[in-house]
Amino acid sequence: MRVRAVLGSILGSVTVLVIGWQAGAAAAHNAAELSTASSSGAATTPTGAATPGSTPTPAATSAATSTASPSPSAGSSSTGSSSTASRTIVGATEETPFGPMQAEIIVAGTRITNVKLLQETDMGGRSAEISNYAAPILRQEVLKAQSANVDTVGGATYSSQGYLASVQSAIDKAHL
Amino acid sequence: MTRRSHVFETMGTVVSFAFDDGEAARIDLERLQGTFAHFDDRYSLYKPDSELSRVARHELDLADASDELRAAYAAALDWRAATHGEFSPHRPDGIIDLSGIVKALAIERAGDELLDGGAVNWCLNVGGDVLVSGLDPVGEPWSVGIVDPQDRAALVTPVRIAAPRRACATSGSAERGDHIWTVGGSPSEFLQATVIADDIVTADVLATAIIAGGAPALDRACASWDIDVLTVDRAGGLRATPGFLHP
Repeated sequence: MRVRAVLGSILGSVTVLVIGWQAGAAAAHNAAELSTASSSGAATTPTGAATPGSTPTPAATSAATSTASPSPSAGSSSTGSSSTASRTIVGATEETPFGPMQAEIIVAGTRITNVKLLQETDMGGRSAEISNYAAPILRQEVLKAQSANVDTVGGATYSSQGYLASVQSAIDKAHL
Repeated sequence: MTRRSHVFETMGTVVSFAFDDGEAARIDLERLQGTFAHFDDRYSLYKPDSELSRVARHELDLADASDELRAAYAAALDWRAATHGEFSPHRPDGIIDLSGIVKALAIERAGDELLDGGAVNWCLNVGGDVLVSGLDPVGEPWSVGIVDPQDRAALVTPVRIAAPRRACATSGSAERGDHIWTVGGSPSEFLQATVIADDIVTADVLATAIIAGGAPALDRACASWDIDVLTVDRAGGLRATPGFLHP
């Protein structure tokens, strides 16, 4: 049981970490913001319908240590902490600003080998791995662009007059 | 392999149409301009004689309006439902204003006509909204530089678009003032939102919805549609989906 309790506590922390990671590792303040948001959400929203008694929320990490009941996947053949076979452990569903979310970790022995964040979709409550989310990023994380290296310019609609001073106008002049 | 550009004014903005010289025989520039003129004549609220202006003045009942106008209005209402009201074809005073969707509808039709005519490689930029087909004159996917709303002489980043994601639309408040009505009535938290999608109407509507609805709209759009998004907030901060990051 002790192993399970420890895993429960890890899962609680992983949830926080993963949500932080999704928000962009470089934007630490945003990760903090998200953690706050999800803990306040947990305080007011009943959670854990899928896994009763399990509430690995940032606000209740210490409580989760003793009460969490992560559920190994049905196909698991591993039963002890000394085994090196992989197990999949899915955390409780949490309300987050992006909708209900769950963390899933793959454990080999006592080592976490993979972490996935699952999100319940609108379609029949089926979970899907999140692949598309606009995370805060630093300007250095996108490529720099020079007008000489692009074919065209995208931007909020400019007026006919605004066009004259636009980068697009300069590009057009070069090719007319 | 020589690039050509054709530039003309319409709908209160400017169209920059780029194509390879080799395509010239398959491109009907007069028809292209005519398509935009048609949409401008029918839907502009700046033209007192446009069909939509007559509807707005209650001279013409919506039920008696052209099939095309009613189809455009129906499409806009569908988008209002799909975006939880973040996109709306009504001004706060209740007047039907289809300007949020008409430009995209015009681009879509012009693009379809270009393809029908056999033109393969072209880039149609209408006031900063872009629809492409094929490759640019050097044989690469078309590269779109996203303008920096805080310094319009600069670009935030380039992004290459190609089929099936042929459309890149941007909404914001940098150039024409806060022309997008936000859900709460306050200025948008985003200065600019750029959406890349398979079609220009989806891209344009969702970019508008994200400006109007802020971060919740951004998250909902990313979760519900197959798109890439880049936003610039009022402090200049960026948010992006993986498609905009370094490969």
